[in-house]
Amino acid sequence: MTTAHAEAANGTLPHEPEKATLEGRNKVLAFWLFLGGEAVLFGTLFATFLALRNQTNEGPSANELFHLPLVAAATFLLLVSSLTSVFAIQAMHRGRVTMLRNWLLVTVLLGLCFLVLEIYEFSVYIRHEEFGMTTSAFSSAFYTLVGFHGAHVAFGILWISVLIGQLMHKGLTVVTAPKIYVSAMYWHFIDVVWVFIFTVVYLLGKVG
Amino acid sequence: MATKQHSPDSPVKHRHRPEGPQRHIVVFVFSIVLTLIAFAAVAAGGVNPTFAVILLLVMAVLQVILQMGFWMHLKDKGHMMPIIFMLGGFFIAGTCIIMSLYWVWWD
Repeated sequence: MTTAHAEAANGTLPHEPEKATLEGRNKVLAFWLFLGGEAVLFGTLFATFLALRNQTNEGPSANELFHLPLVAAATFLLLVSSLTSVFAIQAMHRGRVTMLRNWLLVTVLLGLCFLVLEIYEFSVYIRHEEFGMTTSAFSSAFYTLVGFHGAHVAFGILWISVLIGQLMHKGLTVVTAPKIYVSAMYWHFIDVVWVFIFTVVYLLGKVG
Repeated sequence: MATKQHSPDSPVKHRHRPEGPQRHIVVFVFSIVLTLIAFAAVAAGGVNPTFAVILLLVMAVLQVILQMGFWMHLKDKGHMMPIIFMLGGFFIAGTCIIMSLYWVWWD
């Protein structure tokens, strides 16, 4: 970690590099508008799911299907990854590029673990529970909502991985910093959506 | 490397001092506790369903407010427009959810 110190000594970067330029500030503001739109998108998927959650068409119901330990593990993975992306941004604000890269790598890795767990969950449902996309209105709504969230996680993993490459290639500048900051906002939002998913889909599914 | 994160902050408030990890860890612990309460209420079983629904939704909303406030910095100064964007999004999302539930329940 001797390199981290040398990078911190490079004091040319402003304190909050993501807000140092007008372009950076605009990116952050516009990304909030995008997240507002994402909230609407997931809202419609939640609305569909809530309307159709009891239409099981003689297929498995939520109560028969879901196993809480698996959901708890997925929740824990995503929550920890949200915390590590906070640490990444804090490292960025201190100008420690190596530490920033390492926290981003940990975040991506935890996201990958979450994705693997979700793919395993879906594959169990499809192969052993005969719960496919077309089994029932409930199954279609379930796979669309949870799958859409999983797709967001997959996109986030790709995005942050590319940013790690760019960070190594171009270094931490007022151009790369807003990109990293915005990707961390995205990742937090993914975790926020998951809070509603584990509550509304899994826990309320168990309650009935 | 992780130990470096725990260096104690000096009590002197400096305007441009980077914030420490402490309160983010506090938010993390609160999130874990809220999640545990929700999972425990369901795993224990025998909880009145109406009460369980209210409890679960309150736990979720509390956790979301905590994470958006601290981790996404919505509680900080200069976040009026982001808050308006997010509240606008949640308002439309909530309208969609209430409408579709209305269609299903009071058909």
